[in-house]
Amino acid sequence: MTESAIVSAAITEWTASGEPTPSLMDRLASVAVEALRRAKLRPRDVDAVIATTTALPFDNPSFITISAQHFAHRLASKIGSHGMKCINVCGACASTAIAFATADAMIKSGYIKTALVVGADNSPRGFYYQAPSVLDADLATGYPHKVVGITNPSYWAMWARRRAYEMGKPVEDIKELMALVKVIHSEYGARNPYARYRKVFTVEEVLKSPVVCDPLHLYMISATSSGAGAIVVADMERAKKLTDKPVKIAASAIGGPLSNEPAPRLVHFATAGGGRAVRPFTEWRRVIEEAYKQAGITAEDIDIMEVHDTNCFNTINWIDQAMGWEREETDKLIRKGEIRHNGRLPVNLSGGTASFGEAVQCQALMMIHELFLQLRGEAGERQATKKLRVGLCTAYGAYGSYGAIIVEKAW
Amino acid sequence: MSKEKRKVPIVDGLFTWPSDEPRLIGSRCPVCGSVQFPKSNVCNNPDCDHSKEPEQILLSPEGTLYSYTIHRYDLRPPFDYHKAPYAIGAVELPEGIIVVGRLTTTDEEKLKIGMKVRLKVGELYSDGENAYLTYFFEPVEEVRK
Repeated sequence: MTESAIVSAAITEWTASGEPTPSLMDRLASVAVEALRRAKLRPRDVDAVIATTTALPFDNPSFITISAQHFAHRLASKIGSHGMKCINVCGACASTAIAFATADAMIKSGYIKTALVVGADNSPRGFYYQAPSVLDADLATGYPHKVVGITNPSYWAMWARRRAYEMGKPVEDIKELMALVKVIHSEYGARNPYARYRKVFTVEEVLKSPVVCDPLHLYMISATSSGAGAIVVADMERAKKLTDKPVKIAASAIGGPLSNEPAPRLVHFATAGGGRAVRPFTEWRRVIEEAYKQAGITAEDIDIMEVHDTNCFNTINWIDQAMGWEREETDKLIRKGEIRHNGRLPVNLSGGTASFGEAVQCQALMMIHELFLQLRGEAGERQATKKLRVGLCTAYGAYGSYGAIIVEKAW
Repeated sequence: MSKEKRKVPIVDGLFTWPSDEPRLIGSRCPVCGSVQFPKSNVCNNPDCDHSKEPEQILLSPEGTLYSYTIHRYDLRPPFDYHKAPYAIGAVELPEGIIVVGRLTTTDEEKLKIGMKVRLKVGELYSDGENAYLTYFFEPVEEVRK
């Protein structure tokens, strides 16, 4: 099987969402062209464009399609296309990881040699409503919001409380831990020119922010943002000709919903029946285990992580799942500050979604971009001080959508 | 004298109504026994041969509180009838599934993971004509914290 690598990456600054900013297609095109320029490639050199669709709201219920579903095709036309293959991917907040894994698989199988993975989003603001279409009413996922008033943070809050309970700790314990995660992430957002939020928080400030649904306070939950990014992926032979620092894609795993997942999943009324897995978040762990297998490594080989923190509990949970150790170890790691740039296991040196807000369907581009910079030693003030070889990126989305990508220095 | 409002489920098909003892409506696969809520036209067990359609069942009215949260932010229209604060719980039923639903109390002193709760149908909000109903879980034991 052919090896693959990241040749170049570019993202825009993440900005406020929900405002009609310059056209998303313009932003997408400029960042795509920037990534090509950095790779010294022209559109003719690109075999496939793989774009994520967006979480843009519908303007009018009578529209039978939205242009965002055809980003890849529209982008190809806009930047110049010689008939490149166009694929549009949708997998909730994990969309980019799935687009990336699709590109990787197409290269590794030998079908194509070079791919442009792109995404742009201008996400709706506030709580996300899962309202069914007037033409399609799915009882299982279309109505929890209407019937129960359950929001995405409500699920996360229940997970966080349950974790404290299972560890025999008061809920205040995880609340304080989540506040500390926010503080540490904010220290790196402050050093990242692409981050939307540059303020460094204190634990006290986070705990003084309004309670959204306990134990989650407002500052522990990611805002929604607008942003765009592009990554050029090529087979290793070509990548080595294009850059002296290719970042090898050691693994790119896509995860889906598991019927025996014990933790209630966004945005369902209920877990599935039948035999249940013993531990919650089995579907999170499974995608990482698959990535470890693909890469031929174990958790101990991971030097740095970018994990999808739609809220601060998710940072904690991703560390739990990626390390596969007793949850107490995750708490110690965070409390000792070992997830900072000079720590044992740096996590989210980009500043995380905590500092970016979430441009929902292209968020993993920001994370992969950060690992690309970190492994190449180009992260400036955020650069991890330890020697880096292997990085893990995890993506998390509703409906059981996951991705895990492992990148490795190839020089 | 005000006319009594008509009591209408907020969404049809989730619980039995009208009923003195409302129950959640689920389904069970006659082939593999897998239970679902809400009811579905197909089984959701990946190992099932799907040779028969699931049958409708009424789920047990009592369960155990798996986790909960008190929502302290208002929702925007059209869901602003969910007035903060309101409580949400995940409840483990004897059938082996965990169902999310509203809780009857927002008093944290009365809530504890692992406690027994019981299904109840009550009013979510009303307009000029109707009172809209949803299902709640109500604690049926005292908390000793």
